[in-house]
Amino acid sequence: MAQAQQPQQDENERKLVLTDKGEAEEGTATDEVVIAISAGFNTMKDETLAGVKLANVIREMMAGIEEEGLTARVVRFTDSLDLGVIGLRGAKLSGSGISIGIQTRGTTLIHQEDLVPLSNLELFPQAPLIDLETYRAIGKNAALYAKGENPEPVPVANDPMARPRYQALAALWHIKEMQLKDEDAAPMEQEVSFE
Amino acid sequence: MSDGDARDENVPRTDGGGEVQETTPKRSKRFEALDKREIAKDGFVNEWPEVGFVAMESPNDPDPSVRVEDGKIVEMDGKEREEFDFIDRFIADYAINVEKTEEAVGVDSLEFARKLVDINVPRAEIVELSTAMTPAKLVEVVNHLDIAEIIMAMKKMRTRQTPGNQAHVTSLKDNSAQIAADAAEATLRGFYEVETTVGVARMAPLNALALQIGAQTGRGGSLPQCAVEEATELQLGMRGMTSYAETVSVYGTEDVFKDGDDTPWSKAFLASGYASRGVKMRYTSGAGSELQMGQAEGKSMFYLETRCVLVSKGCGVQGLQNGGISCIAIPTAVPAGVKEVAAENLVTMLADLEVASGNDQTFTHSEKRRTARMMPQFLAGTDFIFSGYSAVPNYDNMFAGSTFDSYDFDEYNIMQRDLQVEGGTRPVDEETVLEYRERAVKALQVVFDELGFPQITDEEVEAAIYANGSKDMPDRSTAQDIKAAEEMMAEEVTGADVVKILAQNGFEDIAENFLGILKGRVAGDYIQTSGIYLGDGEFEVSSAVNDPNEYQGPGTGHRLEGEAWEEKKAVRFAVDPEDI
Repeated sequence: MAQAQQPQQDENERKLVLTDKGEAEEGTATDEVVIAISAGFNTMKDETLAGVKLANVIREMMAGIEEEGLTARVVRFTDSLDLGVIGLRGAKLSGSGISIGIQTRGTTLIHQEDLVPLSNLELFPQAPLIDLETYRAIGKNAALYAKGENPEPVPVANDPMARPRYQALAALWHIKEMQLKDEDAAPMEQEVSFE
Repeated sequence: MSDGDARDENVPRTDGGGEVQETTPKRSKRFEALDKREIAKDGFVNEWPEVGFVAMESPNDPDPSVRVEDGKIVEMDGKEREEFDFIDRFIADYAINVEKTEEAVGVDSLEFARKLVDINVPRAEIVELSTAMTPAKLVEVVNHLDIAEIIMAMKKMRTRQTPGNQAHVTSLKDNSAQIAADAAEATLRGFYEVETTVGVARMAPLNALALQIGAQTGRGGSLPQCAVEEATELQLGMRGMTSYAETVSVYGTEDVFKDGDDTPWSKAFLASGYASRGVKMRYTSGAGSELQMGQAEGKSMFYLETRCVLVSKGCGVQGLQNGGISCIAIPTAVPAGVKEVAAENLVTMLADLEVASGNDQTFTHSEKRRTARMMPQFLAGTDFIFSGYSAVPNYDNMFAGSTFDSYDFDEYNIMQRDLQVEGGTRPVDEETVLEYRERAVKALQVVFDELGFPQITDEEVEAAIYANGSKDMPDRSTAQDIKAAEEMMAEEVTGADVVKILAQNGFEDIAENFLGILKGRVAGDYIQTSGIYLGDGEFEVSSAVNDPNEYQGPGTGHRLEGEAWEEKKAVRFAVDPEDI
């Protein structure tokens, strides 16, 4: 790629760097929220299906969590691409019992450790409709649940034309991301930095 | 991808190597205009058979075969029993009539395909063999039909003679008052079933309650459903808030099943949980779900879907919702995708199951394409032509939009009038609609009040009566409503409690209908294949048992005539010659 020849990137186009720090352990800090990411997050693609940079997605979610005084941990799951499963297992690793699960294409949910995979706290199924403001609000709400509060759910966007435009493409992305799946891989703690 | 490379050629480069050269070729104004059409926004994909990105006839689909030893299928579709995955095994042991299977697989597929469209061959004769066929055999038979023949075959093969329709009733804001009013209007318009779901999962109990009250206001005997996580859905059914479920999903490959921690056996167990409590149970499948999960094993969507149909058959459920469903934009992205979804509806009928035939999710930006897509089911007639038709504006449709929505009510009625076809809705006048909406919301207001839920204000009642969608509704606190929903489940509020409240507060008619629904669960007659209630408050069951499809060409089967036809003629824009 001709990345190096591009003009200097501005603040908004900082690159997200995620580095494996070792196997993720069950957290004990009650003031943490786990962000559970899928196998190809930021490696297969560095943006969502709608072209939102994953660097900005992570930054906004972390900012949302931090503005409520909590901390975020990022954990990558490679053994499953099922968002319900990733989210729930993230919640079980989270000291607060709350997690945000997100797939590369941008589909996101807020999960809690004592629920079942398909019954989450909040689900944002139409990935292309989630903007950065919403990602920040998702981070904030996850933090509020972690504090034991009962916030108003983040308004869900609905565009009947998201499926016609993106579903076949989403399937293609998913098939490609499936090639990264490794059933024996443990969830990995991620070091997050921006370049 | 080569497409991207081609585009890159035309992008001006800022490599510091001098002036940027504009290399955009001169464009045809015709093509520029065509590029602005809605269809240009749809997703289309070229076939990729290696991973199963093909609607019909993948080179990896197996050839039909079967061998029976000691009353057991020991070879099916080219695989020995030891090589069966759990789907093969389940189908071989529970879905196929073993006694007839060698005969059925042995018939000439082309000859059998011709019988599907031969009016001299009655449905019963077809079903005797089609329910003994293996997945690959059913696929081989139906692959011989073109789309007009699929329509003819559906007309003969659907199980219940009277076609019907189902509606979606949902709210972007999960607004209970709006859901009650829209359910009343939808059932008044003729939908036999109404289905809701949630924006926020925890709102399910209130949405189900509002839907039920609205449905029993519009037409006593309308069947309601709340599509949510399976355990919650079962609980709501057991409490009498809903009458049927259809979103229990089955899949065509083992990996997708396993991803959901499920097997055909666990799905069968869940189905019996519903059916044993008098809740009607229909499964959901549909082309594209295995691809969406990236686990299609290189097989065609049609072959995998045929396996789903037979898993459903083996589980003993009364029917199946298929025809793409929530993955519809995957089959429709490839060649013959729209034909394929009609073909999978037909296979469901060949398995002698009720079919709710899709047309329930957006897949295109094009008005013409979405109308063309529903024509096979509309012209042939199915148990539920749409599953469902959005009885709210699509912006409120929490199934992410349906093929047709409330804006199409008049067009859909007029299409039935144009072609003299039963589409399952009828013309209604504004005054009556407002009356029913008012009755439903006021009933719900009282129930909320009596149960100590957050008040539905008179302002909300007024808004719900006249609303087109949730944009016309005042905001209310979802957090407060969720609390009420949790209370409702914790305090084990049942349908009977709500019936009592309605009866004691001047809504005896709605209470009577709601009670009829609860009694129906005890009797269980509507749990027969394709069961619905006809009439208004009479709870007269119509199903494949007492209304079997006996179509055998002109002069037979269901025909739109008499009172029902007179009703369709009366569209509200028609001018009466006598008035001029």
